[in-house]
Amino acid sequence: MSAILECRKLTKSFGSKTAISEVDLKVERGQIVGLLGPNGSGKSTLIKMVNQLLTPTSGNVFIGDKKPGIETKKIVSYLPEKNYLNDWMRVHEIIELFSDFYDNFQPKKAYDMLKKLNINAHDKLKTMSKGTKEKVQLILVMSREAELYLLDEPIGGVDPAARDYILETILGNYRENATIVISTHLISDIEKLLDYVVFIHQGQIVLTSSVDAIRDEKGKSIDALFREVFKC
Amino acid sequence: MLRKLFKYEFKATGRVFLPLFASLLAFAFISRILSVFDFQQTFPVFISHTIYIIIMAGMFVMTLTVMIQRFNKNLLSDEGYLMFTLPTNPWQHIVSKLLVSMLWITASVIAAVFTILIITYKAGAISETIRGLSLLISRLSEYWSVSASFTIFEVIIAIFSTLTSGILLIYASIAVGHLFSKHKILASFGAFIILNTLAHVLVNLISLVIKVVPLANIHISSYNFANNLPAIQMALAFGIIIAGLKSAAYFAITNFILSKRLNLE
Repeated sequence: MSAILECRKLTKSFGSKTAISEVDLKVERGQIVGLLGPNGSGKSTLIKMVNQLLTPTSGNVFIGDKKPGIETKKIVSYLPEKNYLNDWMRVHEIIELFSDFYDNFQPKKAYDMLKKLNINAHDKLKTMSKGTKEKVQLILVMSREAELYLLDEPIGGVDPAARDYILETILGNYRENATIVISTHLISDIEKLLDYVVFIHQGQIVLTSSVDAIRDEKGKSIDALFREVFKC
Repeated sequence: MLRKLFKYEFKATGRVFLPLFASLLAFAFISRILSVFDFQQTFPVFISHTIYIIIMAGMFVMTLTVMIQRFNKNLLSDEGYLMFTLPTNPWQHIVSKLLVSMLWITASVIAAVFTILIITYKAGAISETIRGLSLLISRLSEYWSVSASFTIFEVIIAIFSTLTSGILLIYASIAVGHLFSKHKILASFGAFIILNTLAHVLVNLISLVIKVVPLANIHISSYNFANNLPAIQMALAFGIIIAGLKSAAYFAITNFILSKRLNLE
């Protein structure tokens, strides 16, 4: 089977500044991948190019051998680092929108998770705190039975208790053969989830490895290795 | 997918326009009732008329504001992260927004005419208007045999195609502004002026080259009007074609930028 995500010489510049530079990357199916790097290393830029929200300056992205388009959007579930929900809708209306557009969206799953987190489906998004909105977004994204989940900073803005719940949610909804890419700099929190890591620094991939290999060969935790690689 | 996008676009904009229409209607009725009760134009009537006029002006300003806002905010700001990751094509976003904008503009005009009728209504006025209109149409038909209804049809098409090209011009301008990393709004204004000027120059060139339509030679006096009917129809057809060409160009620009040059920050 083809790799679920592949980047070939992918480059993105903003004016004279290069955010992603000739990245070659292959992500195989059926694993949880940490896209790890300090702030401004190009994590979000990379993910946004996979979602067609940014146009690459050069190079290509393939999702299961296809270039980004309608067919790939059906199988990719993306959690942006921003709040993309408008503020006039109610939670149940946004759930209806997701069920309308995505065939693989499971409304029941979404309502169950909302209930567990004590979020009222009839509340307006406008009245919610930033953290609650982030939870709603994550619920929406994880309620899809996608082949590739791209989660950009999923735990950045929520409290540690909710953080645990979110990570449980991610794991709980994980199906064999699906692939999850989590971008973050909060490594210790997600370390135990990861099968594979990609270290990114100043727009370039500096290390790709399975987590077991790092533990066995280097005898280090990902967190320790990260601190070593990105030492200021 | 287009139908679904249309549905959500209608929902998102309807919550602005439906209350506006309702309040316009309400104040038209209030004005009407107040003026029935006292024939001198007194203070309450004045107030109610003023509010009515303000709502009416507000309604037309809102059609423009919402049209721009829905394109800029829903597609090219944070909300675009959701819209562009839905399994839809960019052209479907453009078309759904265009159609919904046209719908609200048309509805606003209808609401304006309808409420004016309410305020100025006199017994028998409507039936008289209808009688007058049908008389006019039948007279015109006598003059031109079958082509009167066709001309009316042409006029309607001309109005809608011009409206389409106007809305798409605004979309294209916003999309061009999106290409700039700084001063996007200023760039959009610049793009609006440049695109508009370019279109004018091209249209003038085309009419010079073709010379099929001697637009300047049409005199709208009753007799000439009848005699010049083919010329009028030609002019209308020319106008429709030009608006169609402009629409196609603006649409192509917008669609190209949204599908090949999108850079949401």
